[in-house]
Amino acid sequence: MAITAEPATEVAGRSLRQIAWGRLRRDRGAMVAFGVLLFVFLMAAFAPLVTGWIGVNPFDFDATALDLSKGSIPAGPWGAASWSHPLGVEPLTGRDLLARLLYGARVSLFIAVTSVIFTAVIGTVIGIIAGYKGGRWDTFIGRSTDLLLAFPQILMLIALSPVLTQRLQAMGLSPENARVAYLIIVFVFFGWPYLARLVRGQVLSLREREFVEAAIATGAPTRRILFREMLPNLWAPLIVYTTISLPTIIAAEATLSYLGVGIVEPTPSWGKMLADSVRFFSVVPSYLFIPGTVLFVVVFAFNVFGDAVRDALDPRAGRNMR
Amino acid sequence: MRSVKRNSLRLAAAVGVSALVLAACGGGGSSSSSGSAAAGGEPQKGGTINVLTLSEQFNHLDPQRNYTGVDLAFASGYLNRTLTQYKYAPGPDGVTLVPDMATDTGTANADATEWSFTLRDGVAFQDGTPVTCDDIKYGVSRTFATDIITDGPTYAIDFLDIPKDADGASTYKGPFVTEGNDAAAFDKAITCSEDGKTITFHLNQPVGDFNYAVTLTAFSPVPKAKDTGEKYDDAVVSTGPYQITEYTKGQKLVLDRNPNWNPDSDPLRKAYPDQVVVSFAIDAAAIDQRLIADAGADQTAVPIAGMMPENLSTVFGADDPRFADRSVDANDPYVRYMVINTQKVPNEKQRIAIAVAVNRAEILQIRGGDFAGTMADGSISPTLGAAYQPSGMWTDMFGQEIPATGDPEYAKKLIAESGEPMPKLVYQFPNNPVDEKMAASYQASLAKAGIEVSLQPIEPGEYYSIVMDPAKAEGLIRSGWAADWPNASTVIPPLFGKGQSFNLGLIDDPAFDAKIAEAKAMTDANAQAAKWAELNKEAMTHAWIVPTVFGKTQYLWGSKVGGSFMWDAYGAIPYGNLWVKQ
Repeated sequence: MAITAEPATEVAGRSLRQIAWGRLRRDRGAMVAFGVLLFVFLMAAFAPLVTGWIGVNPFDFDATALDLSKGSIPAGPWGAASWSHPLGVEPLTGRDLLARLLYGARVSLFIAVTSVIFTAVIGTVIGIIAGYKGGRWDTFIGRSTDLLLAFPQILMLIALSPVLTQRLQAMGLSPENARVAYLIIVFVFFGWPYLARLVRGQVLSLREREFVEAAIATGAPTRRILFREMLPNLWAPLIVYTTISLPTIIAAEATLSYLGVGIVEPTPSWGKMLADSVRFFSVVPSYLFIPGTVLFVVVFAFNVFGDAVRDALDPRAGRNMR
Repeated sequence: MRSVKRNSLRLAAAVGVSALVLAACGGGGSSSSSGSAAAGGEPQKGGTINVLTLSEQFNHLDPQRNYTGVDLAFASGYLNRTLTQYKYAPGPDGVTLVPDMATDTGTANADATEWSFTLRDGVAFQDGTPVTCDDIKYGVSRTFATDIITDGPTYAIDFLDIPKDADGASTYKGPFVTEGNDAAAFDKAITCSEDGKTITFHLNQPVGDFNYAVTLTAFSPVPKAKDTGEKYDDAVVSTGPYQITEYTKGQKLVLDRNPNWNPDSDPLRKAYPDQVVVSFAIDAAAIDQRLIADAGADQTAVPIAGMMPENLSTVFGADDPRFADRSVDANDPYVRYMVINTQKVPNEKQRIAIAVAVNRAEILQIRGGDFAGTMADGSISPTLGAAYQPSGMWTDMFGQEIPATGDPEYAKKLIAESGEPMPKLVYQFPNNPVDEKMAASYQASLAKAGIEVSLQPIEPGEYYSIVMDPAKAEGLIRSGWAADWPNASTVIPPLFGKGQSFNLGLIDDPAFDAKIAEAKAMTDANAQAAKWAELNKEAMTHAWIVPTVFGKTQYLWGSKVGGSFMWDAYGAIPYGNLWVKQ
C-alpha cells in the first residue's frame, strides 16, 4: 500500500494579524461581545432611522403618558410602557425612553470614540518622541505625564467645567456643543499620559532591536524609522488600549453627567438618564434599570472584547498559556 | 432661597389687601394671642425639634440680611422679635398682623408718613439687657451699610425720610462709617421718646402698610455693643425664646432656651420644645425619605424646603393614613415666569410672539402637574386677594385665544408682522433637573414658531448674580417672585420699574413708571389694589414676562410634631409654633 502522502495542506505563512484574528474568532465570549457592540454601534449610527421606523422621538413631550394628578409620573407600570412607547417614558416630560436611549448612545459613543482617537494620536506621538529621542525630551515628557497623572481628575473636571465651557461658547460653539467639546478635551487631556507611557516603554525596547539598528545603520531618515519600522509594532498595544479605554470613557461621561457637568438638555446621554432616574427610583424603578442595564452590558462587552483582543495579540500573556 | 433672593416673603392664601391696609391705618389691632395647636391634642413643653435642610447654613441669620421666606419664618419664631408679626394660624388667618414687641400694630398719622410703635415691658436681649427704641434704631441703621449688610431688604432706605445724593444713594451710610456720613438725617428719620419706649418712623412718602414692613427682621433690634458687622451673621444676639448654643456650618445649629426671654412680654411664641437642632447638608432626597420613614428622632423632624416632586405621589397620591395628619399641600405665593429681556428683544410684537409660542401646559407638567400649581396669567398671584384680577392675556389680550399648549402658527404670523427678523436668543436657567427640562420645553416650543433658542445652564449658586448683571443677562431668563407682604406694591414696582431690584428684563418705560408712582401714592386700599391689577394687565400687554405657574408647595413632617401647618405669611412651616408630642 503505497503511502499516499496526505494531501498537502498548503502551508501558508500567516501574518501576525491573521493569527490574532484566528484566535479571536475561536473565542466565543469575544464574538458575543463583538456582536453586542456591533449591534449597539449600528443602532446608534442609525438611531434616526430606527426611531423613525418604530415611530418614537427623543425630544417630543407626551402629556398623555403621564399622570398629572400624581406629580407627572408615568401613568402605568414600567414607565407607562406601551406600543407607542416600548420602554416607557421619562417622568415629568413623557419623552420616549427607547428613543432617548438610542440617541443617548450616539452621544456617549461619539464622545468616547472621538476622545479615544485623539488620545491615541497624541499619546502615541508624544510616547514615541519620549522613547526615541530620550535624554531631555524624555525627562521633560516624563515629568509632565507624572504631573498630569497626579491631578485629582474628577475634582478638576468639575472645577474647570464652567470656565472652559464658557470659553468654548465664547469661541462660537453652541452651549450643547460646548459641553461635548469640553468633555472630549478633558478626556484627551487626562487620557494621553497613560498611553504615552505605554508607547514610550515599547519604543525604548524597540530601539535596541536589530531591525531598527539596521535601519539606522543604513542611514534611514528618522521619519522612516519612526513610522515604517516602529509604528507597525505599536499597533497591538494601541488596539488594546483603545478597547479598554472606550468603556472607561463611556462610564466617565456618565459620571460627569451625573454630577451635572456633562451633557446639556435636550440632548440625551446615558449618564444624564441615570442621574435623572435615581430620583425617581421609588416610583418608576424601570427608568433606572433600563439605562443602567444597557450601560452595564456595553461596558462589560467592551471589557470582554478588549481582554480577548489582548490575549489574541499577545500570545505570551494569553489564557492559552495557563 | 428657593428661587429668588428677594421673592422671599410669602403670603396670604386668600386675604384681600383691603383688610390689611385698613387694619394698618386704624392701628391698635387687638393683641390677640395665637399659636394654638393645629391638630393633635394639647401642646406640651419639652423635647427637641429637629430641622432638616439641604443647605450648608442659613442664607443669613443676621436680622438685617435675612430675606428668605423660610429663614424669616425660622428666625422670627426663635431668635428675632419684631415690632409686629403675623399670627400663627393655618389658612388666611396666617397673614393677620399682630403686635409682637409693640403693644399694638402701630399708629400712623393722617397721611401715613409717620408711624409710631410703643414697646412692651419686659422685652430683653439674651444677656438680660432690656430692648429700647435705640436698639431698634441701631438695628435699622445697619441696613444703610450696604457694603457690609448685603442681601437684606432695603425698605428702610426706600421709605425713611433721608436725603438722597446725586446718584440716588442715601446720604446716610450706616453705623460703620464716620466721615461724610449724614447721621443727623437718620436721627431725624427715626425718633425715640424720652423713656425709650416709643419709636417713630418718619417716611418720605405715604406708606399705608408700613406696619407690615416692620414684620421683616430687618426692623428688629441689634445691641450696638455686640455688633460684629459682617460676623454678626454667626453670632446673633437673641430677643426670642431661644439662643444659639452652637452654629457649625455644614453640620448643625443648636438652639437652647434663652433664660432672659420673658413669656409675659410675648403674646406670640409659646416656646414649647426645650431645644431646636438644625441639621445641615442633608441630601434633599434623603430628607424626604427620612420623613416618609418616620423613624426614631425623625419623628420630631420638620423640613426647611418643600418636598421633591418625585415623592409627592407616595405621600399625597393614595389618601395614605400614615401621612394624613402630618402633611400639607397648599398654594404658595410664588409666581413662576420667564423674563423677556427688553434690551435683547425690543420689538413688542416679537415678545408677544414668544409668549404666544410657549407651551405653558408642558411647563406645569414638568414642575409636577397638579402638585405644582395652576397656570398663571400675570405677575400678581391670586394669593394677593383683590389685587389679582384675571389679566385675560391668554383669552383675548393678544388678539385671539392662546391655548395652553401655545400657538406656534399665530406666533409666526406675529413675527412676520413685526417687520424685523427675530433675533437668536439664549435662555438662562439654574442647572437643576427640573429647570433643564423646562429649558428643553421652551426651546422646543419656540422652535416650532421658528424662534431659535440656545440653552445656557448656570451653576445654581451663581445664578442670580449672573442674570442680575445687565452685561451678562441674555434674552430669556427663568425667574420667580412672591410679594414681600400682602400688597402688590411689593410686586409690580420691583419687577417692572426702571432700575428696580428685580427688573431682570431691563424695562425702561417712563409712562409705566409714572403710573407706578401714582399707584404707590394711593391711600385707599381697594382703589390701590384695583390699580395694581390694572398695571399688572398693562405689563402683560407689553409681554415683559411670560407668566407660567401660580405655585403650590408640599410639606411633610414627623409624626410627633405638633402645631405644624402651612403658615401663609411665609409659605413655610410655623417653626415658632411647633411642639413635641410626648
